Amino acid sequence: MITRPNRRQALVQGAALGLSSLLPHAAGAQSKTLVAATFPGTWNEAHRSLLLPAFMKRSGATATQSIILGADQISRLVAAKGGKPPFDVAFLDSPQVLDAAAQGLIVEYPAAQSPNYKDLLPEFQDKWGPRISMQIIGIGYNPKKIKTPPKSWDALWDPQYKGRVGLTALNSQLGIAFLAEINRLKGGTEDNFDPAFKALRELLPNVGAIGANLGAYATLWQQEQVDIAPYNFNFVQTLKGKDVPVELSIPDSGPVGWHTSMHIVAGAAEPELALSYIDTHLDPAVQAAMLKPPFDVIPTNSRVALEGAITQSIAKNHGDLANVRSIDWAKLNPKRGMLIEQFNRDIKL
Amino acid sequence: MFVAFFLSPLAVLVGLSLHAEAAMQTWTIGNYTKFLADRFNLSILWDTLLLGVKATLVCLVFGYPIAWVSARADRPRWQSILLFIVILPIMTSVVVRTFAWIVILGRQGILNQIALGLNLTDEPVRLLFTEVGVVLVLAQVQMPLMVLPILTVMSRIDPNLLDASRALGAGEWRTLWRVTIPLSLPGVIAGCILTYAACVTAFVTQTLIGGARLIYMPLHIYSQAIGANNWPFAAALSVIFMLAVLAIVYALSLLATLSRTHVHA
Repeated sequence: MITRPNRRQALVQGAALGLSSLLPHAAGAQSKTLVAATFPGTWNEAHRSLLLPAFMKRSGATATQSIILGADQISRLVAAKGGKPPFDVAFLDSPQVLDAAAQGLIVEYPAAQSPNYKDLLPEFQDKWGPRISMQIIGIGYNPKKIKTPPKSWDALWDPQYKGRVGLTALNSQLGIAFLAEINRLKGGTEDNFDPAFKALRELLPNVGAIGANLGAYATLWQQEQVDIAPYNFNFVQTLKGKDVPVELSIPDSGPVGWHTSMHIVAGAAEPELALSYIDTHLDPAVQAAMLKPPFDVIPTNSRVALEGAITQSIAKNHGDLANVRSIDWAKLNPKRGMLIEQFNRDIKL
Repeated sequence: MFVAFFLSPLAVLVGLSLHAEAAMQTWTIGNYTKFLADRFNLSILWDTLLLGVKATLVCLVFGYPIAWVSARADRPRWQSILLFIVILPIMTSVVVRTFAWIVILGRQGILNQIALGLNLTDEPVRLLFTEVGVVLVLAQVQMPLMVLPILTVMSRIDPNLLDASRALGAGEWRTLWRVTIPLSLPGVIAGCILTYAACVTAFVTQTLIGGARLIYMPLHIYSQAIGANNWPFAAALSVIFMLAVLAIVYALSLLATLSRTHVHA
């Protein structure tokens, strides 16, 4: 016979369930949980399938990986300032690290307590937290439509690609990095972006679509809405893995990139676990596993040799990685709002 | 509860918009004067409000006949099938529906494949990232909000009135024009209010179908807050946008009151 609980029993059981969820640590102090931020897409998959098991094995603790974009992480940390932060480990791109540090959202990284830190290549060591990979941009193109890989950014301005060029809005690092590189090539400086905007206005007749965010940008390629556009190495690798016709060509002016890093959040609930989690990401075994497809995460540990897709077009060895041109974010960050506004004005239909 | 969870965030929003920085130290009305002094901002607001009008009208043109047919369906079974088709879009997420439209409207999309196959055009037609595309998709995505209120009001119209109209010699069209439409007006206006408010604030559909070149208020607010980190200005934009939409909704509800007195007079 099935006994059905009466209303009072159901209420009591429900209340017990509710109360128990308010007391997550009552079950046992040994099962500690770290909350770490990660990016959507490939990063989230790499962190879940490779970093998480390695971290659990090493620390005996577990971790919740929360998918939040870098800019959103900053806003959430700002909102939680003075209270308990919503996550312990922040995952940021170079420009946001400066913002986070300036606002006191992250703490200096205790490198001495992080065994793998000393093995990082010098350009990937940073007092605010180790750089665990880098992003590199070049010219993305559809090999079905464009047979010879474009070797210059000028290819985007070629009249034969009228209506076939894609761009992304400046709320992404990709958009800003592209703008900065064009500005440099057209003779601008960090204080003068007029050459870049002049070039962009000349590019507009060729522009078929501007993705409002990186998710929409990927769709442009999947739907073959554009044939040629600035793109970055890891996104291209991800799309290629899904049989989307896209290749990345590095122009003769050289690759441009920025770093991606992990940080202990100020006031973190689990600072030791956060340190252990980040150090696990520096582990040569973890980085070597992440370098393999479908992740192709560029390693930063000197004990991991480069191999695979990255060596074909971007960097044959660690020296090449050090030579990837970076952007002066300290000078560019304060201008970001102005650049976004100017960009939106110029492109609005 | 209402005060705590609805009014206080709103008060914070208004407060933030009246400050110069996110830390809320100096009071200023600079964010509002900045908005009003700049044609760029005003054109975005105007485009957004106009987009809502266009999408609502398309929604009404397609939605009204659907509601009319469903309300008049003789058998309850037909009525429930039609109703199910109308409600179906609400059962999937807006993101999924919008992505489906990208597949339909894209250069390699179904519409373009058909047009190319029938030799209607040599080059794929640009539908994605155009305002026409945004209006079409918004109209489809928000259709239930238009159809359901109209259907509710219509099915409450006393069938004797329609019979009386016919008995007095009016044809189908005349009955529709003189009896059904005036009596269903409150539903039409309720539908328009809901659809309009949903269309102008539809961030996902506007950005995915419109891309970054068609800037509407929700995207503008987002890029000021997250991209440019200018929270006070984003807050001011939100307040202005909210007031503009409220004004239109209020005007529509005044119309509803008028139409009711007109019908009963």
